Order: sequence, then C-alpha cells, then structure tokens
Amino acid sequence: MTSVQIEVLLQTVISGIFLGGLYALLGIGMTLIMGVMKIINLAHGELMMVGMYIAYALFSFFHIDPYLSIFIAAPALFLLGVMLQKFLINPVLTVESILPENQVILTVGIGMVLSNLATIFFTSDYRSTPVEYATKAWYISDFWKGSPIELSISFAWSVSFFFAVLITALLWFFLAKTDMGKSIRATAQDTDAALLMGVNVKKMRIITFGLGAALVGAAGCLFIPIYYLYPDLGGQFTLIAFVITILGGLGSTVGAIVGGLILGLFESLTATYIGMGWAPIGRFVIFIAALIFIPGGIVSLLKKQRFG
Amino acid sequence: MKRLSLGAAFLFLFTLVPFSIFAADSYNLAIPLPLTGQQAKFGEMMKRSYQMAADEINAKDGINKKKLVLSFEDSGAKPETARSIVEKLIDVKKQPIIVGEYTSACAKAVAAVAEERKTPYLVIASADDAITRQNYKYVFRQNAVNAHYGDGVIDFFKQVVKPKTVAILYESSAFGTSGADAMVKDAERLGMKVLLKEKYESGSIDFRPILSKVKAAQPDVLYMVSYVMDASLLMKQIKELRIDVKLFTGGAAGFAIPEFLDNAKDAAEYVITATLWTPQMKYPGAKEYAEKYKAAYKDYPSYHGASAYSAMYVLKDTLERAKDFTPEKILGALKATNLKTAFGPIKFENKEGYQNQNFMDTLVIQIQKGVFETIWPQQHASKKYIYPIPTWRERR
Repeated sequence: MTSVQIEVLLQTVISGIFLGGLYALLGIGMTLIMGVMKIINLAHGELMMVGMYIAYALFSFFHIDPYLSIFIAAPALFLLGVMLQKFLINPVLTVESILPENQVILTVGIGMVLSNLATIFFTSDYRSTPVEYATKAWYISDFWKGSPIELSISFAWSVSFFFAVLITALLWFFLAKTDMGKSIRATAQDTDAALLMGVNVKKMRIITFGLGAALVGAAGCLFIPIYYLYPDLGGQFTLIAFVITILGGLGSTVGAIVGGLILGLFESLTATYIGMGWAPIGRFVIFIAALIFIPGGIVSLLKKQRFG
Repeated sequence: MKRLSLGAAFLFLFTLVPFSIFAADSYNLAIPLPLTGQQAKFGEMMKRSYQMAADEINAKDGINKKKLVLSFEDSGAKPETARSIVEKLIDVKKQPIIVGEYTSACAKAVAAVAEERKTPYLVIASADDAITRQNYKYVFRQNAVNAHYGDGVIDFFKQVVKPKTVAILYESSAFGTSGADAMVKDAERLGMKVLLKEKYESGSIDFRPILSKVKAAQPDVLYMVSYVMDASLLMKQIKELRIDVKLFTGGAAGFAIPEFLDNAKDAAEYVITATLWTPQMKYPGAKEYAEKYKAAYKDYPSYHGASAYSAMYVLKDTLERAKDFTPEKILGALKATNLKTAFGPIKFENKEGYQNQNFMDTLVIQIQKGVFETIWPQQHASKKYIYPIPTWRERR
C-alpha cells in the first residue's frame, strides 16, 4: 500500500467510527424501548427531529450552543415521551384489536403528526445551526511536521462523538447500578416476574419510553451542528435505528453500541471502496444478513462466546 | 330572506361587472403557476415579479392605452392541474395567449394543450430540453435550455483554467445524473480526463470517504451537482479535509442560491457555478428591477423572477405590434420579437433542433468575500475572477 492509500483508508476508518458512535446513541434509545415494551418505536426518527428543532430554536432565538441545548432538549423529550406513553400508547395496550401490535401502528401515526406539526411551525425549509467551529479540525501535520500522510479530525464530530460516549456511559451506570435501572432491566427480561417481585411495570414502561425519547433527543442535538434539519428527516433515521436494533439483538444496549459502530464503519468503507451510492443498499444487506445468519443479533454471539 | 336575496343580487352584479364593463379597456391575463407545494417559493417570486411589471406598465400608459389586469391560478406544480387550468383559460375564457408555469413537467403539459388549441404559450423558467424540441408551432421559450446551462462554465474552463482532469460528484436522482452526464460530454470536448465519477444519495451525512478518494485522485477541477444542503455539507467537509484543487465548480442548483452562502459560510469562498441571470447584469432595467424587488421583499430575486418580470414586457411589446387580441395575430407578433429586457435580449429562433427558443448567454458566478459576483463572460463581469485560488492552508 502506498501512503496515499493508507491515508484514504485511515480517514475512512476515522469517519466510520465517529459516525458509528452517533448511530449507536440513536440505536440505544430504540433498543431500550424495544426491550421493555416489546414494540418497535417507528416514531424514533421523528422524536430526534423534535430534539433537533428544539436545538435549532434555542440557537436561532437565544444563541445557545447546540451542545448545551442537550440539557434542555433531553428533558423536554423525556416529558414528551412520558406523555406519549401515558396518554396514547398505554391505553392502546389494553384495547382488544384485530392486529396484535397496534401500538406499532400508533407510533407511525405519532411520527406523522410530529413531522406535520414541524412543517406547520417551522415550514418545510431546510434549517441548520451555522456554528463557528463547524469546519474546525485537527490535522496530523500540525502535531507531527514530517508526517508522510495527512489526516484530519473534525472538531464538531469529535465533540459529538465524545458526548455520545459520555451519554452511553451514564446510561450504563443508570441501568446497572441504580434501583430504577435494575427495575427497568427486570421488566425487559420478564414482565410477569418483575410484576410479581413488586416492580411497578406500568411506571417502568412510562419511564423507559421517556428515557428512549430523551436519548434520541440528545442524539438530535449532537447531529445538528454537523448536519441539517427539515421536517421529514425522521424516516431515514428511524430506519438506521431499526437496522441497528436488529443487528445488535432486540433489546440489548451492548448490542446496539456494537451494531452502531459496525454500521458506521461498514457505510464508510462501502462509500470509499464500492461507491457512496451503494451505502443505502449496504445498509439493507446488513439488515437481511443479520436476520438470516444471526437472528439473535450480535449480543447472541457475545453470549455464546462467554458460556459456550 | 329579502335582504339575503338582495345581497345575492349585489354579489352577482359585482362578479359580473368587472368583466362586462372593464373588459373593453383592459387586457385580462390569468397566469398558471405553483403557489402551494414544494415549488411554492419560486411561484411566489414569479407572481410578485409579474405583478411588479404589470403595475409599472399600467402606471405608464398600459398596453395600447388599456390596462393589463393579472390574475393567478395555483397549479401546485401538478401537471394535471396545470393542464385543466389552461384548458379552462383557453376554452372558457378565450384567453388568446398563455404565459407561465414553472416545473418542466407542468410546462410540457401546458405546451401540449396550447399547441392543440392553437394558442401561443410563452415558457418562462422551465429548462427541460424537450419542451421546445417537439416541432410545436405555438410554444415559445424565453429561458435557456438545460443543455446550454453550463456553456459559460465550459467557456471559462477553456479560456482561463485549462484543466486537464476533472472529478465529478453528483446526487443520484435524475437531476444530478443528467448534470453529471452533460459534464462528461463537455469534458470529452475539452479533452479533459474524468478521473472519478461518483454518485451519492441526497441527504447523506458524511462525505469524507468519497472526498478522501477525490483527494487521492488529485483532479484539476472538482465538479459537483448537488442540492443546497448537500452542497453546503460537501464544501464544509472539503474545507475540513483540506482538499486542494485548482477550482471548485458547482453545477448550478444548490450552489447558486443564497442559502448555500448562509450554510457553508467561509467554506463557500471562491466556488464558481453556472447561472442564467444575476442582479448585476448590465441589461437595461435589470438593476432597477432587482433593487425594487429587494426593497419590497428583502431578498434579491433569482432568474425565475427576472424572467417573469421581463415576460410582461415581451407581452406588452407583442400586443402593441399584434394590434389584435387573437391567437393568430399574437403568434405572428411573438415570433417577430426582438426586444431588450431586464432578462437580456429576447429573440425566438429555430436552430439546433429547437423551435421558438431564445438563446442567451449563460453566466459564471464566483463567491468572493461571501457575495456572488458575476465573473464570466467578461462583458457581464461585476468583478474580475479570482484564479488561481489559494489553498486551504493559506486561507487561514
């Protein structure tokens, strides 16, 4: 390999890891809801869109940095998620219906309402938060003068990645160490058993949906400095989160992290070595391959290793 | 009840009166254009411009001492709606000339109706080559066709940049693909080698992988056909990766509108792109129109507005020569048009397989200090072009 080829490869891998980190955060929210509720939340991307509009509004009216608006957008989305679960999804759970999973259809409806509300309030124009540091980057040649290759690491992407890792770590701490986190995990593992052990399952469901919404809202705040925003953007991110959830193993947070990273790396490598037009196809190849070859997701492979 | 019927009678009178009384001393023209849906922004701009021109004409002497009265019909950029609007205008209202529409799909539908009913149709801003290539007698087009859109840029390449190699990035829909294919043909003519031709899906988040390929290929010119948000992301990531080529070139669309500057900020500097018209054009009335529009609506209009504005003057000129408000007389007069407008000189010619097509200079604009400046052809230039451009490292 020549130094140019190495440079292209390394730059691709760096991009892939950064993208994967953000994808992971996107996937975790969905997989968490999947684990506890046993439904796919198809309004996930739209919830992220709401988070992004909050960050956008705070930036354009009050000049609040998108990264700081995580602390406003995430709690706001938590409340929104709680409301949705309490007043829309929970009532539907108890209704007899022809379709067993009519809550999933409900989430599709919620997504449509959210994106149409965004069109009404913000019009369908493209929006972005043109921050000062948008194109700032670190270059390897600045630190090492004689470097044979030139690599750059974007400042905004690094910050987004750092926050994604931090939020994931906090979530892990919450789920592993706190009483409420343990109750959520218990509900995910076996609802009836959790109920018998005195876990307030209904409350856990509400909190989980809120938590999932808050996570994806935070992901929205991390995306907006490096991307842009329009009301119909939700769909494509719902799809990505869905692929990650399947790839990682339904309901597994570790699986979502690994799945997100794999998807990010895979997309970047496809773009470089096959063609960027192929990236969406690659996404579905992964999706189908995961369904056929590892139906339990990555997490099932990890478990096999440990106990096998 | 009595009051109601009285009211109804009044209402009836009022709707009738304008037609019966004023019809004799005014020209009534209904214009189909998209006022709702995705293209509404452009429709709105054209509506304002049509009205602006009509007001100016009426403030002077009108047309043949008659007032020009405009009304607008919303087609929502749907060909079937545009079609039925125009059928109504011709069959019921007996309007002897049709002006308007925006998307190529709508213009095609309207053109077919107009040709069938032998009524002249003036196309304002629809670029699909096919519209004036169907041997239609009654369809006239004022704006340049897609195939000629890049002429200015190619000329600039030939005279100034003299590139040997080019890399092409384009978004994967019909618009991007046709733009990229046109560039490949032009590159062949100029003797440029196409090192890389890569498509991407519009809405992509991370372009770094293909951009690092561009960097490795080291082309003289990077040519990109993109919508606006992709265009901004591309330039931002190019700046970040410090990809230095002799010239960054946009294939119009996303690169030629103010939103590109707002989003890409300093990464947009020195990018060149093709366009049809700018407020800096040295055509009579161009600057006045642009300033008047800006004063009223806070933004400069794009070529769509200028074309609509000028169309009303073309109409005035035609009607004054036609003397008669009938399709046949108007057809003859429109064909003989040779008028200098704010949009440029307008003359309808049959050549290169096109019928009744106006051929115009296409321009090259460059972003200099955060402003679009016209740089080519030289007779239209508002600033001298900046070439060679500094490397990203030098720009800091």
